[in-house]
Amino acid sequence: MPEISPSTDRLNPARVAIVAAGIVSPLGFGLHETLGSLRESRDCVTPVTRFAVDHTRCKTAGQVSDERLARAGEPQLRSERLHRVARMMILALEEALEQAPGFQPQLSVVGTTSGGMTFGEEYYRGLKGGRISRRRAASLIANYTPQKPVMDAQETFGLTAPCQVIANACASGTNAIGHAFECIRSGHYQRVLAGGYDALSELVFVGFDSLQASTPERCRPFDRERTGLVLGEGAAILLLENLESARARGVTILAEVLGYGISTDNHHLTQPNPSGSGARQAMEGALHSGGIKPQEIDYVNAHGTATPFNDAAEGKAIAELFDGVPVSSTKGMMGHSLGAAGAIEAVISLLALQNQFLPPNINFRHGDADLNLNIIANESQAGSLRTVLSNSFGFGGTNASVIIRAVDS
Amino acid sequence: MSLGIAGMGWVTPLGSGVDTVWNRLLNGEVSSAGSIEGPMGQVYPIYAVPAEATAKAPAHPRLRRSSAISRFAVVAGLAALEDAGVTLNDETAARTALVFAVSNGGVVYTKKFYHEIVESGAKAASPLLFPETVFNAPASHLAAILGIAGASYTLVGDGAVGILALKMAEDLMASHALDRCLVVGAEEADWLLCDAYRKWRLLRSAPPIEPFGRPPRGMILSEGAGAVLLTRSAALQIDKIAAGTNFRKQSEAGASVQEVFSELCRENESDLVVASANGTFIDEAERGGIAAACPGAKVLAVKGALGESVGASSLWQTIAAAQSLRTQQVPQVSSFSGEAGPPSGKIRRALVSVCGLNQQVAGLRVALS
Repeated sequence: MPEISPSTDRLNPARVAIVAAGIVSPLGFGLHETLGSLRESRDCVTPVTRFAVDHTRCKTAGQVSDERLARAGEPQLRSERLHRVARMMILALEEALEQAPGFQPQLSVVGTTSGGMTFGEEYYRGLKGGRISRRRAASLIANYTPQKPVMDAQETFGLTAPCQVIANACASGTNAIGHAFECIRSGHYQRVLAGGYDALSELVFVGFDSLQASTPERCRPFDRERTGLVLGEGAAILLLENLESARARGVTILAEVLGYGISTDNHHLTQPNPSGSGARQAMEGALHSGGIKPQEIDYVNAHGTATPFNDAAEGKAIAELFDGVPVSSTKGMMGHSLGAAGAIEAVISLLALQNQFLPPNINFRHGDADLNLNIIANESQAGSLRTVLSNSFGFGGTNASVIIRAVDS
Repeated sequence: MSLGIAGMGWVTPLGSGVDTVWNRLLNGEVSSAGSIEGPMGQVYPIYAVPAEATAKAPAHPRLRRSSAISRFAVVAGLAALEDAGVTLNDETAARTALVFAVSNGGVVYTKKFYHEIVESGAKAASPLLFPETVFNAPASHLAAILGIAGASYTLVGDGAVGILALKMAEDLMASHALDRCLVVGAEEADWLLCDAYRKWRLLRSAPPIEPFGRPPRGMILSEGAGAVLLTRSAALQIDKIAAGTNFRKQSEAGASVQEVFSELCRENESDLVVASANGTFIDEAERGGIAAACPGAKVLAVKGALGESVGASSLWQTIAAAQSLRTQQVPQVSSFSGEAGPPSGKIRRALVSVCGLNQQVAGLRVALS
C-alpha cells in the first residue's frame, strides 16, 4: 500500500514536483530534439506512410520515424511482439529514468485512446484473409491491449507499479498527470509515474476522416480559416514526486505541478458545448486547485485542434478567463496525438518554462474575429514565464487542465 | 481509508438486479450457454445477457445508437443509485464522480466500423459508428444521463481493471470534495473476442467453466455490467484495496497473487475468498495464494456460473462478496479442494482476488462495519 506522508491534511496539501521527463514525438526523440523543433517552429507533419490514404480526405499526420525507433535501443526493444508505441514508451521512460535514477513509482497513471490498435487491425485483416499463424495471432492479442505498452516499459526497467490506464479520449494524458498529481498531493503517495501514449492507426485515422474532423489542408489552430486537425503520435512521461521528499533526496526539481481541473461536458458525444463552459470549468478547476488567479498564468498551451468547434469553444473560454495571455497550440507542428497529447504538451510546457520561451502556433494566417486571443503566431518567442496552463479536451466531453510552475531555486 | 458500499447494480447472463441474480446463484443456477457464429462459420459458446435484463434502460437520446455495453452500464449504474436511495440532481451530481472500468470496450461497433473499412474502403466508414468505438463512450453516456459534470474517468485493463477503478475511486474520494463515487465495469461479447481468446488458448469449446478444475480446460466469455456506489461510510465497507502488481509470464502469476494476498491478509484473515478462477492458468495462481494466506477460508468462484466478463468481472466479484456478507449465505457454484459449501461461522470479511488474463493482479477486502 502507498506510504502515508505527514501531509495528508487537505488544508495543507503536499506539493508535487516534476523530477524527470521523457518524450518521443514527431518533434524528435528526447527533450533536446523537441526543444530544437519548438524553437525553430518546425513543421513535422508529413504524408502518411503507415497505411493507404487514397480514399481519405486527409493524407498527412505527425509520424514518429520507424527507422529511428528500430535503431534506438537494445535488442529487447526490437522484439517482434512489442508494439511500436511500446518502443516509444520505453524510450521516453529511459530518458526520464536517466534524470532520476532509482525512481520507484508506487503507481503508474498513463493515458491512451487506442492502445495497440494496429495489432488489432493486423489481427482482423489476417483473420479475414486467412493469412495469420496461430502464434502471431496470440501475440497480437496479448499485446494489443492498452495496458501492455505501459507494462512493457515498466518491465524493461524493472518497475512493477500497478498501472491505471486512463482512456478519456483526447484528454487522457492530462487526466493522467492530473490524477497522479492529486494522488501525491493527498499525501497518500510519494512517487507516481504519469504520462500518455498513442500510435497512428488506420481505424482511428479513418474515423476522424469520416467525421470530417481531420483536414486535407494544413492544420491551422485558431485561424479564421481553420478546417480541422491532423493526427499525430508519440509518448511522454513525467516522473512526479512529493516535493519535500524530492528535496530531501537531493533530486533536481524541474518544476512543480500546481493545479488540476477536470470537467465533463454532457452537451454531445463528439462536440463541446459552444459556450465553452466545459473548457472553462476545467480551467477554473485547475486555478482553484492551484490557489492562483487567472492573471498569474503566463502562457496557455491550448488543446487547439483546429476543428471549428473545439477552437471556438476553447478560444471563447480562454478569452473570457484570461486577459491577453499568450496562447498557442503546438498541434500544427506535430499533429494531435490523442491520448499522448496531454502528456506531450505538458512536457512542451515544461520546456517552455525551463527555457523561457513561448512555443509557436504554426500555419497561422488570419485571426478569428470571434476569438480575442493573443496567439503566438508562426514563430516561437522569448518569454518570461513562471506559470503555464495546458489544456486537453476529448470525445465524451472530457476536459482537463493542468498548471505547471517553475520552482524557485 | 475505507469506503462504504451504499448501493449495487448487476446486469449478467443470469438476469439483472442484485437480489435476483444472487438468489439464482444461491439456487445453484448457471447461465445458459448460447452460441455466436463468426463470418466463416466458426461457432463459439457464450453467456449472453438476456434481452429482458436491460428492459429498464431509459429511453434517453444518448442510448439511441449506442452499443449493448452502454445499455448494460446504464442499467447497472441506475440500479446502484436506486439501491442506495440516491437521486442525483445538480447539487448531488456535482459531488459525485464516475469511474468506469472496461477491457475490450465497444467491440461490436469497433469491429463493424473496421470491417467497413476493410471491405469497402475508407469512404464507406460511418461517422455515426466511430464515436461509439471510443473507450469512454459508455461512460460519457452514463455521465450525461446522470448529469455528472465533474470527474469522470474510464480505465482500461484486463480483468483486474475493476479493482483499479475502485482504487482510483478511493484516491478521488481522498482528493476531492465528493460525497460518492459510482464505479461501473462493463463489457459486451462478440465472436471476434471469442476467436481471439480461443487463439490465445484460453477459451473452452463448450460449457461448463470449471474453476479450479484440473487440468484447466478454459473459460467461456460472458457480458454485462456491475456497478458499486461508494460513499464515505455504510454498513458494508471496502476496508482495504490492493492496487496490486504485474506479472511477466503466466507461470509467474502465482507469485503476484500471493503478494496481493499477503497485503490483504496482513491484519486479518478473511472468512471467504471470492476468486477470479475461470478454468485457465488463473486457477492455479489463486490456489497457491489462498492456500498460503487464507487456508481456512471458503472459496467462491462466480465465473463458473456467470462466465468471464473481463472488464466487468471484478465488479461482479465485489458484488458477490458484498452479498455474501449482507445475506450471510454463499452459493455453492464451485469447488476448491473440497471446501465448497456454506461457511460454518459468521462471514465477517471477504477477500476479492483478481488475477487478470493479461498480467494485472489486484484485490480488495470487504467487511461488515
